[in-house]
Amino acid sequence: METPHYVAARVQRALAEDERTTELGIRVDVRGEQVYLRGQVSCDERRHQIENVAREAAPGLHVHNEITLVEVREPGEEEHL
Amino acid sequence: MRELRIAAVADIHLGEDLRGHYRKKIEGIERRADVLLVGGDLTRHGTIAEGRVVAEELSGLPIPVVAVLGNHDYHSDHNQEIVDVLRDAGITVLDDEGAVVPVDGVRLGVAGGKGFGGGFAGKCASEFGEPETKAFVRHTKDIAERWRRALKELDADHKIVLSHYSPVKDTLMGEPPEIYPFLGSYMLAEAADAEGADLFIHGHAHAGTEKGVTPGGIRVRNVALPVIKHAYTVYCLNGDDC
Ligand SMILES: [Fe+2]
Ligand SMILES: [Fe+2]
Repeated sequence: METPHYVAARVQRALAEDERTTELGIRVDVRGEQVYLRGQVSCDERRHQIENVAREAAPGLHVHNEITLVEVREPGEEEHL
Repeated sequence: MRELRIAAVADIHLGEDLRGHYRKKIEGIERRADVLLVGGDLTRHGTIAEGRVVAEELSGLPIPVVAVLGNHDYHSDHNQEIVDVLRDAGITVLDDEGAVVPVDGVRLGVAGGKGFGGGFAGKCASEFGEPETKAFVRHTKDIAERWRRALKELDADHKIVLSHYSPVKDTLMGEPPEIYPFLGSYMLAEAADAEGADLFIHGHAHAGTEKGVTPGGIRVRNVALPVIKHAYTVYCLNGDDC
């Protein structure tokens, strides 16, 4: 089995460099054959694309998509400086 | 002098798939703020098509919009074209320079640009060794020098630095420390502290935190969308009535 460390590095690079994702802020953790993706994105389509790219970069491993959607809320309270 | 209400956001990362979404969230912004500052990473891939989406979403607002680019906006080597598209749409884009935005007789000065990395005092890269390392550090140094000059030349009642990269570690809390040198540089803070400013706005650190302060005491706010989780945040700069 490939060293998890290098799998994580490869998936992370793929997410950053693949034109479908270009996501730099996704955390990739590999434990044995399990790959965990964590972070935040702004729409469901992007969340799915990240999972697809990760699967391609880690064939045969089990990818857990734990990425959350950032719900952009209306502006809240203001801060007085 | 009246109070100034500064709306700020960064890392909106727009593309065709989000067309119209962000605009909906900022309708009515003129009732909450006097100016909108956008701290870079306007697009995902830095394509001209994405730049046009950004221009559509941010143009025609009743308040002035000032923006800088982020690293994503450089990815396709069309950064200059994106700047042109935004400027054609009436958006003020700062590329290591300053601009004065008049707001009801108050002159708001904004200086800045994309910024760059290098790390923070004591744990930073230095201009030594391979040409690649020197070029990396010199890029930030040159930027900081241009910002210092731009701040000095600003004739304004209030001054704000608008950047993509962070000037301090405070607002990176939550990011892995190993990547801090790619998230910002103390040289950006040093430039601001040398000339003085009321506020330092940045983005880029999606997993960071909102609030920090420079060594010289300038308030720093990381307004990356995933950090503030709102369409924008409003900061009020004290007027006499506040
Ligand atoms: Fe970003
Ligand atoms: Fe960025």
